[in-house]
Amino acid sequence: MASDIEAGSKYIPEMSKKEIEELRSSIRAASIKVIKENTERMKKTWPNRPETMEYFDEISNFFGQREKEIREQKEAGKKVIGYSCMFAPVELILAADAIPVRIGSGWYDAAKLGDRIMPVEVCPVIRSTVGAKMVNLSPYLELSDAIINPLTCDGRTKLSEILSDYKPILPMCPPRVKDDPQSLSLWTEEMQVIKKKIEEVTERKINRKRLRSSIKVMQRATKAFRRLQDLRKGPPVIMGRDAMLVNQTSMWDDIGRWTEKTEALCDELERRVNEKKWACPPDTPRVMVTGTPMMWPDSWKVPNLIEESTPQGVMVADELCSGDRILYDPVGVDEWTMSDMFNAVSERYLMASTCPCFTSEHGNEDRINWLMDRIKENKVDGVIYYVVRGCILYAMEYARVKRVLDRMGLPVYYLDTEYTREDVGQMKTRVEAFLEMLEARIDI
Amino acid sequence: MLTAGIDMGTQRVKVAILKDNQIISRSQNFCGFEPTKAAEQAFEEAMKSVQLSRDQLQHVTATGAGVNMAPFSDSTISMMGADARAGAYFFPSARTIIDVGAEDARAVSCDENGTMLDFVVNARCAAGAGTFIEAMARALEVELEEMGTLSLKADRASPINASCVIFAESDVVSLIHREEPKPEIARAIFDAMAERVSSMVRRLGVKPDVILVGGVAKDAGFVSSLKRTLGMDILIPEESLFAGAVGAALIAAKRAGKGR
Repeated sequence: MASDIEAGSKYIPEMSKKEIEELRSSIRAASIKVIKENTERMKKTWPNRPETMEYFDEISNFFGQREKEIREQKEAGKKVIGYSCMFAPVELILAADAIPVRIGSGWYDAAKLGDRIMPVEVCPVIRSTVGAKMVNLSPYLELSDAIINPLTCDGRTKLSEILSDYKPILPMCPPRVKDDPQSLSLWTEEMQVIKKKIEEVTERKINRKRLRSSIKVMQRATKAFRRLQDLRKGPPVIMGRDAMLVNQTSMWDDIGRWTEKTEALCDELERRVNEKKWACPPDTPRVMVTGTPMMWPDSWKVPNLIEESTPQGVMVADELCSGDRILYDPVGVDEWTMSDMFNAVSERYLMASTCPCFTSEHGNEDRINWLMDRIKENKVDGVIYYVVRGCILYAMEYARVKRVLDRMGLPVYYLDTEYTREDVGQMKTRVEAFLEMLEARIDI
Repeated sequence: MLTAGIDMGTQRVKVAILKDNQIISRSQNFCGFEPTKAAEQAFEEAMKSVQLSRDQLQHVTATGAGVNMAPFSDSTISMMGADARAGAYFFPSARTIIDVGAEDARAVSCDENGTMLDFVVNARCAAGAGTFIEAMARALEVELEEMGTLSLKADRASPINASCVIFAESDVVSLIHREEPKPEIARAIFDAMAERVSSMVRRLGVKPDVILVGGVAKDAGFVSSLKRTLGMDILIPEESLFAGAVGAALIAAKRAGKGR
C-alpha cells in the first residue's frame, strides 16, 4: 500500500547537486593525497621494497586503473556486486559472473558527513560509508548494482536501511551463536536466499560448473594469500603495512590477476629469505593488531605509527577482517556436487569467522584461538587492540582477550581512536611507549 | 659519566644533569610561546650552576609531550619509560608510578630495574590533570598555591557531580552562590580529580609501592585526596617535578654506556 511514508528517501537529507559535487571533489582530492602519502611513507620505511609491490600500489588507488577497468566491464554488460563485510560469499558473486567489491569505508572526511544523519556515537566505519555515499565518493560503491550487507552489528543493521535509499540492498543475517545445531542450517538457508538474489540482479544462473570454477579461483587466491602470511612467520621479510595493502587489494582487484601478482611477490620474498635480506632488523619488536577493521586509505593511521615509530615495530600478523582474515580460510569441497559445494561455501563463511558478533559460553573461542595461534606461530611480542569509538562488540570483548593474553604473559595495549587525524600526536606517544616496553622485554 | 635529560612538558620544561647517575644540577622554566628557547635557557642555567659545557655531556635524552621541540638531543624516550626509570631510581621499592602533569595524567608499572611493564594514560580529559586545579582556583578566586592548604581545612567535601572542567566550573559557581565554605569546595575539587586518577590507575592494577610524580605531586590537597581514594600510602620524591628529566638522564646514561 502506497503511503506518504514511502515517498522520497527515508534517511538522506536533501543536498543540492552543487554541494554534493563540491564535497565530493574536495574529499576525493584529499583522499588521492592521502593514498599517495601512505605509499611514499611505506616506500621510505622499507628502502629495498621490491618492485613487485608497485602493482599493489597501483590497485590501491581507488580513483585509478581498477575503477576504469570495472567501469568498462560494466559498460560491456557485467554486473558489480558490492559487499560491506566478509560474510558475503564472494564465490557466489563470481559464479554469477559479477564483479565483487568491498565497500566498507576508511575515509575520515566522509565520516563527518555521516554525522548529518547519525549521532557521533555511531561507529565511524558506518558513518563514513554513509557519508561516502551521500557525495558519491566511493567508485566501487557507485558502480555496484546491488550491495550485500551482512547484519553483524547494530551499525550494519541500520546501514542496510540507509543505503537502501540509493541502491538495492541484499541483507544477510548471520546467526549469533555458531555452535548450535540449527545455526549452520539457518545460515545455509540464508545463503540460498542470497544466491537467488544474486541471480536476479545479474540475470545469470549459478550452476554447478560456474560455482565449481569460482570456488577453484578462490582456492588459488587463498593459497597465494596463505603463502604470503606464512612468510611473515620468520624474520621480517615484508613490512606489515605492505602485507596489509596486498591483503586489502584482494577485495577489489580482479582476483585471478591478484593471485598471480601475489605469487610473484612471494617468489621475490622467498629469494630474499634465502639471501637474508630483511625489511627491517630481525630484532625489531613484532606486533600483532586486532579489533576494528582498518580500511585503506585513512585508517592506515595505526599501522603508520607502529612501523614509523622510534623504536620501530613491525606488524607480523593481525586478526582483522580487513587483513589476515580476508582470504585465509579455503572452501573445502569433498564431492563437487551442487549441494556439497554449496554447503562448503556456507560452512566456510560461518565457521571460519572470528567476528565478535558471535557469542558462546566460553567467550567467542574461535577468535581467542586464532589470536593464540598467530601469537605463537608468528612469534608476536605484543598486541595492539584497536577500537574506534562506537565499535561496541570489539570494545566489549577486550576484557576477555586481555585476560587470555595476560595469562600468556603477552603485553597488550588498548588503543582507542576515532575517524580523525587530530589525535595522531597522542597516539604516537602511546604507541612509542608500548614499543619501548616490547623492546626492553626483548633486551632482557 | 655526565648525562642530561630534557623533559618538554606542556607547561614547563625541566632539565636534569647527572654525574654517574647522581643528580648534580637541575633547572626548570615555563614554556611560554617558545618552548625550544625556554628549554635552552633552562639547560644553560643547569649547566652554568655546575660549570659544565655541553661537550662534556656524553648523552642527552629528551622526553615529554613536546619532545619534538627539544633544542637538541642524542635520543628520545617516551614519558612513560622515563617515569618508570625515575620512579625506581627515587624509590627502589616503586612498582606503580603515577605522573600527574599540567595537561595529562598517566600511570606506569615497573620492575625493580625501572623497566616499564605496562601503562595507562588519560590524555583526553583535563579533569584529571593540573589545569583542572588552576581553572577551579580561578573560579574560587584563590591563589593556585593556596588550594591545597585550603582543602585540608575541610572535614567534608561539597557535592560536585561533574567530572568535566567546563561543567565543574559551573558547579563550583553555584556552590559559591549557595555560600558553601571554600575549603569544602576545594576538597571536592581534589576528590573529583583524585577519583579520575585512581580509576585510571586501577585499570593498570595498583601494586605497591605507589609513587606520585609530576607537577601536581607538590599539591598537598591532591595528595591527601589521592591517598584517600586509593586507600593506601603514596611516596613522593623531593624531585617530583623533575621525574621525567631525571628518568631521561638515566636512560641517557644507559645508552651512553651501550655506545648508542
